[in-house]
Amino acid sequence: MKLGLYEFTLERRHAVHALHTALTAGLAILLALVLSSFLFLSAEANPLDVYRVVFSYAYTDPLGLPATINRATYILFCAFAFLVPLRGGLWNVGLPGQVYAGALAAFAVPFAVRAHELSTLPAAPGVVIFLMVVAAAVAGAALAGVAGLLRAKLQVNEILVTMMLNWIFFWLVAHFIKEGGPFMSATAEGEGFDLPASLRAPMAFGAPFPAVLALAGALSLDFLFARTTLGYRVRAFGQNPAAAAYAGISPETQSVLVFLLGGAFAGVAGYHYFGAVPELHRIPGNYGYYGDLAFYGIICALIARGSSLGAVPVAILFAGLSLGGRFAQGQFQLPFGVDYAMLGLLMMTFVGSQFLYYFRIAWRRTAVPEVPDVSTERS
Amino acid sequence: MSELLIRTLEASTIFLFAALGELVNQRSGVLNVGLEGLMLSGGTLAFITARTLGSHAAGLLAGLAVGAFLGCAHGFFSITLRGDQVVSGMGLWVLSFGLTTYFGNPYTGPLGMARIPVFFGLSPFVYLGIALVAVAWFLLYRTSLGLAIRSVGENPAAAEASGVNVALTRYLCVVFGGALAGLSGATYTLSYNPVWNYNFLQGWGFISLALVFFSMWNPWVLLAGSLLFGAMWELSLSPELVLPGILSRYLWRTVPFVMTILILSVISTPWFRIRWGLAKPQALGLSYAGE
Repeated sequence: MKLGLYEFTLERRHAVHALHTALTAGLAILLALVLSSFLFLSAEANPLDVYRVVFSYAYTDPLGLPATINRATYILFCAFAFLVPLRGGLWNVGLPGQVYAGALAAFAVPFAVRAHELSTLPAAPGVVIFLMVVAAAVAGAALAGVAGLLRAKLQVNEILVTMMLNWIFFWLVAHFIKEGGPFMSATAEGEGFDLPASLRAPMAFGAPFPAVLALAGALSLDFLFARTTLGYRVRAFGQNPAAAAYAGISPETQSVLVFLLGGAFAGVAGYHYFGAVPELHRIPGNYGYYGDLAFYGIICALIARGSSLGAVPVAILFAGLSLGGRFAQGQFQLPFGVDYAMLGLLMMTFVGSQFLYYFRIAWRRTAVPEVPDVSTERS
Repeated sequence: MSELLIRTLEASTIFLFAALGELVNQRSGVLNVGLEGLMLSGGTLAFITARTLGSHAAGLLAGLAVGAFLGCAHGFFSITLRGDQVVSGMGLWVLSFGLTTYFGNPYTGPLGMARIPVFFGLSPFVYLGIALVAVAWFLLYRTSLGLAIRSVGENPAAAEASGVNVALTRYLCVVFGGALAGLSGATYTLSYNPVWNYNFLQGWGFISLALVFFSMWNPWVLLAGSLLFGAMWELSLSPELVLPGILSRYLWRTVPFVMTILILSVISTPWFRIRWGLAKPQALGLSYAGE
């Protein structure tokens, strides 16, 4: 495009500075918040008041803060589950399915030892809880592994496979907890059985222990990708599978590996929300809502640009926004689904911010201004 | 005609509209994985418009328009900005999923209008669907525009050298694909199941996307695939018609999704690829920078 003497062009950035990454992420989130305020305006609420309620409930309220920490833990696990395959160039949109698989597997452990009917446990509670976490991780990994294996062996589109698995497991959970399913609660129709008090997750630093696991995951994943051979292989495969194959990196192994590791995180997320969060301790009838929340993990990982440590503040913010949004919805009589709308707007501004992230506007002087032809000839 | 057959044909039409648009889209080299999002937006806006204005036609137009608009947005990101098509497609899906839940919620419930009149026992959309398959086939294989579409999907550089405007051709296709996705959503909410509910599609869009792969990018095979999945969907909703008493009704709901994964796997095996040839557009999912 030409403007006066200057020509403006779009140029692709080649190296992106970390500060630039953080600024683009911040801008995307801020823009999504500004756009959300239009939703509040249309419901005749003052956006500033709404945000004050959202943030004060999420981060200072004695009820809201623990809930925010629990949700942030969940979103963080989901973000890891998406982030690991993404570093390998693959899309794991099967987070809800893997979360459901993890929850079913976790609850299968107390179910198998009939902990919900008998008052005594055959093993120490610590052992049973440990087995629940392991079962959840294995189930999540196995489910995601299916997508990874199909991708590796047959080049089947992983987005389609994981999305199909989401719906398969959505209905499978319904089968297990509704209409006489094996996990159905004895007292409430359409809900899973309650976890006995002895099997509730131990607390660490005032939050259920998975929160600590999530932070440990944040530290180790960034280390894995930055400092280890395995991480290097995944990154190389993600950036250029053909070049990686020439360097002796097996594309099949990487595809399966990233999905196994990612799925394990999503499985633990399922254990965390249904098995460790104090308000639940069961698979509730509205489990689909928690599955939908897993999609916050996708945006969290995308906005953090694949950095697990970067995902921590983003997850805490998204947890607060979605919880506080629900709370404000009741306070200001906003339409249902403020948290869903924010999810959509964040995704939109993220896609828009890709533009800022990858391109810069360059300008240069094009032509020397034309000088009127003055005769210099002397007579 | 039996009720099940009528419902099957209507369901197939919804798969068909969305998948046919996506087929033309992909033939031009643009992959839109956010098909379900376009259908959700089209369906929701069609429903709200029809209920507010009391007119099916206005609803249909709104559905078509929002689908075309979102298709165009996908085109802007993937053709003009040459961004990652998967990022843009998934973005459109999550955006639509979030916003339709919020804006559609006050309208939860039935449409409360007379049903769209039927012709010879079938919804007019069924006839439109079959006609569109013929039109799409004719367009792709018997017109110069169709040749241009197929060539920009296979080798955009060669197409450009022979005088085809790559960007314009691709834009035409994404707008057409988007409009058909919107029509598909509108058919769902106005005719097939005129009750709005949050995330009402429950995977229809992603199955439609898979159908394009199953069809090997041929409109007639796509028609057959849509009929198969329409029948499967209806049977999974009322399994008592064929196999009463076996498995819970929830397990039956998983059948179309399990079948999708199975078929996707089978058509991806080397045996199948060699036997049937690989019809996948060569430049699918790749952006084109121009010479």
